[in-house]
Amino acid sequence: MEIKGSVALVTGGGNGIGEAVAKYLSKRGAKVAIVDMVQKNIDRVVKEIKEAGGEVIGVQANVTSEAETAKFIKATVEAFGKLNIAVCSAGIIRDSMLLTLDKETGKVARKMGLDKWQPVIDVNLTGTFLTLRDAAEAMVNGGWEGILVPISSVNKIGQIGQLNYSSTKVADALMPKIIIGEFLMRGIKNIRCVGIAPGYTATPMLTGMNQDALKAILEDVHIGRLVEPDEIAAMIGHCVENGALNATTIEITGGLCNSKGIAK
Amino acid sequence: MKIICYNDMEFVLDKTGSGWEITRKLPGGASAAVAAGLFADLPDSEAEARAEALVKTVFPVGIKSVGPDVAHPNMIGDLKIVGPDVSHPNFIYWNKDSTSFAK
Repeated sequence: MEIKGSVALVTGGGNGIGEAVAKYLSKRGAKVAIVDMVQKNIDRVVKEIKEAGGEVIGVQANVTSEAETAKFIKATVEAFGKLNIAVCSAGIIRDSMLLTLDKETGKVARKMGLDKWQPVIDVNLTGTFLTLRDAAEAMVNGGWEGILVPISSVNKIGQIGQLNYSSTKVADALMPKIIIGEFLMRGIKNIRCVGIAPGYTATPMLTGMNQDALKAILEDVHIGRLVEPDEIAAMIGHCVENGALNATTIEITGGLCNSKGIAK
Repeated sequence: MKIICYNDMEFVLDKTGSGWEITRKLPGGASAAVAAGLFADLPDSEAEARAEALVKTVFPVGIKSVGPDVAHPNMIGDLKIVGPDVSHPNFIYWNKDSTSFAK
């Protein structure tokens, strides 16, 4: 599928990977709908895309809401007449260990609360599900060629301190296989689904962290640096253009290895 | 340029060189972006109408309640719809507003 002339919807498009994807696709001639929770981020990205000559709408919405998902899908189709690319970049972290022990007694002092668990499940899993579901519905009913892109993470393999996040990202990574299997059964041929599993990426969340901790992370990355959001965006652009990529999740990590040197 | 007031919000529809721009006015003179570069190839009247419709989609008002569907058969999937038992001795048919009663 050609990027030029297509219509893309990017949740979490107000910063980080989502912003990079929105700008990348717009620069190559796609019309873009940005969905984000933070209006000032929407304002900034819309302004920058507009100044670069792009066509763009910004919708403040919560991806965990079924009604708001319906709203931003409808707004995209109303503004641009179709929908071809849906990228589910909206995601959050709430890191916590399942149990924390009291050092003196060895008994449980604290456990991961639902306040850490549920929002991550809601945004990263339910939000992705709703966006993919309603985008696919629009593509099927509209008869438009399309691609669905859930954003997983290399931490789908299981990251200590991220039982919540890793649980959602392994599920997101699995979605392309299930969705395309179902599409095959249903005779839906116009939509592909490709997941992206980024490694440590230079988003504000990581670049703003403790620099010593960041340095320790980079020791395990073969290329010796964070992956740039533009590199993730370029991979998504390639997925749009390469019609053979389907029903899989692609890692882009720069060569992230375990501390003993075996690639994760 | 056209200003539309809708649901206590003000929106500015502005035709620019690269298409129509929609912004929402915020308190204190600031504004929030809704869209840019839209409908460049449409006649002005059609572009305005579509921009207005888009504003109403992005900022929907209220909830439309549908139902209950009293003509629906008792079963909806696995759910059985059970209406009030008007023959029950404890059932009170109340059709008067409380203000109808003298204090």
